[in-house]
Amino acid sequence: MTGGQRGLRRPEPAGPRRGGDELGALLGRVARGDEEAYAVVYDRTAGQVLGLVRAVVRDPAQSEEVTQEVLLELWRSASRFDAGRGSAAAWVTTLAHRRAVDRVRSEQKAAERERRAGASGTAYDEVAEAVEAKLERERVRRCLGSLTDLQRESVTLAYYGGYTYREVAGLLGVATGTVKTRMRDGLIRLRDCLGVDP
Amino acid sequence: MRFGGSDLHTLAGAYAMDAVSPPDRARFERHMARCEACRQEVRGLREATAALAAAAAVRPPDAFREAVLRQAGQVRQAPPAGARPPARWAALRRRELGWRPRLAVALAGVLAAVAVAGGVITYGMQDRIDQDQRRELTVAAVLTASDATMMTARVSTGGTATVVMSHRERALVFTAARLHALPAADGYELWLIGPAGTRAAGMIAAAGRGRMVGPVVVSGLAAGDSVRMTVEPAGGSARPTSSPVLVISLTGP
Repeated sequence: MTGGQRGLRRPEPAGPRRGGDELGALLGRVARGDEEAYAVVYDRTAGQVLGLVRAVVRDPAQSEEVTQEVLLELWRSASRFDAGRGSAAAWVTTLAHRRAVDRVRSEQKAAERERRAGASGTAYDEVAEAVEAKLERERVRRCLGSLTDLQRESVTLAYYGGYTYREVAGLLGVATGTVKTRMRDGLIRLRDCLGVDP
Repeated sequence: MRFGGSDLHTLAGAYAMDAVSPPDRARFERHMARCEACRQEVRGLREATAALAAAAAVRPPDAFREAVLRQAGQVRQAPPAGARPPARWAALRRRELGWRPRLAVALAGVLAAVAVAGGVITYGMQDRIDQDQRRELTVAAVLTASDATMMTARVSTGGTATVVMSHRERALVFTAARLHALPAADGYELWLIGPAGTRAAGMIAAAGRGRMVGPVVVSGLAAGDSVRMTVEPAGGSARPTSSPVLVISLTGP
């Protein structure tokens, strides 16, 4: 497992940086029932929650449904955000992503997904196309570009496509162990390139 | 296929992107509970995924904003995390089970003990919040399901296990008491075994002597499944490697 320990050796201080996390402060106000603060949180997060959920879920109606659930969850559970455990942005997108993959991985879709994973190539092109159209941020695009092809494909299929690493391995025709390490190496490289390392 | 320590570390990337199956997720979280470096790494990787999410941002429909803000005004907010789990369990018992008196009485003891053991099964990680919530919701759903069924059985090496299952919710809630303490290198692992195959269903953190463990929520229950428990290396196994110390045949749907 080359580079298996690389990321672990990096010293990583605890708190997130990024100017004291303004979104986190807003969440603190939301936790106390501040509706005005919630409106600001909505404005800062709704676009990326919807974009992310749409990338994973695809179906527009279901995407909106999941997005609403996530946004309401921010209102409901704002008190549970803990700044000591990462940035507010990461908390929000982690919640959104989890909800989105939960939706697409429901039992009923399992068979269909497996078929898709089996039909090599097409699913990846479809996902990649959708993703590329959405990559608005130059910085992220540039950093994704600094990954190896396999790292980039593994990361985008998993994150935007909502596939598990085993499914990604099927899609790409690569061993699961390889995909697992590429996902980690790719994310580490992305993290370092973006300078988001806390 | 076993996950040794260093092999598990490599799952950090997939885990940070939710690209793992429930058993893999459970395994990695058990590992992470003991690995501060892993928690930090996942934290850093999640910051990277947040940038990926930001890059995918789209403009939501205008009507969306008003609808969400209006709904929020009508949704009750949750108390802060870690706000006295015993109180939450007590509330759950009262509110959710009030209309099922017999089951409620039977479960009261289980839940009270579980509240005490709560700390045993919580992991100090960012995900805890979501997990706790999700678990709590699943527990409530199973316990209040119209087809909820409770079964108890003795563990051959000592102790008692209680299962409340619901085919409707496709899940079961497992608790155990007075399990025989195991050496640190070993742990109890739960399995669902049936026509749908053999699935790892989570490790049981065997607390001190006489302590209640659980509730462990096991999802993906299928027709014809039985619950088994085996003694495995503490990191968990992909397949059972010893004969079961507990077998509970579940009633059909």
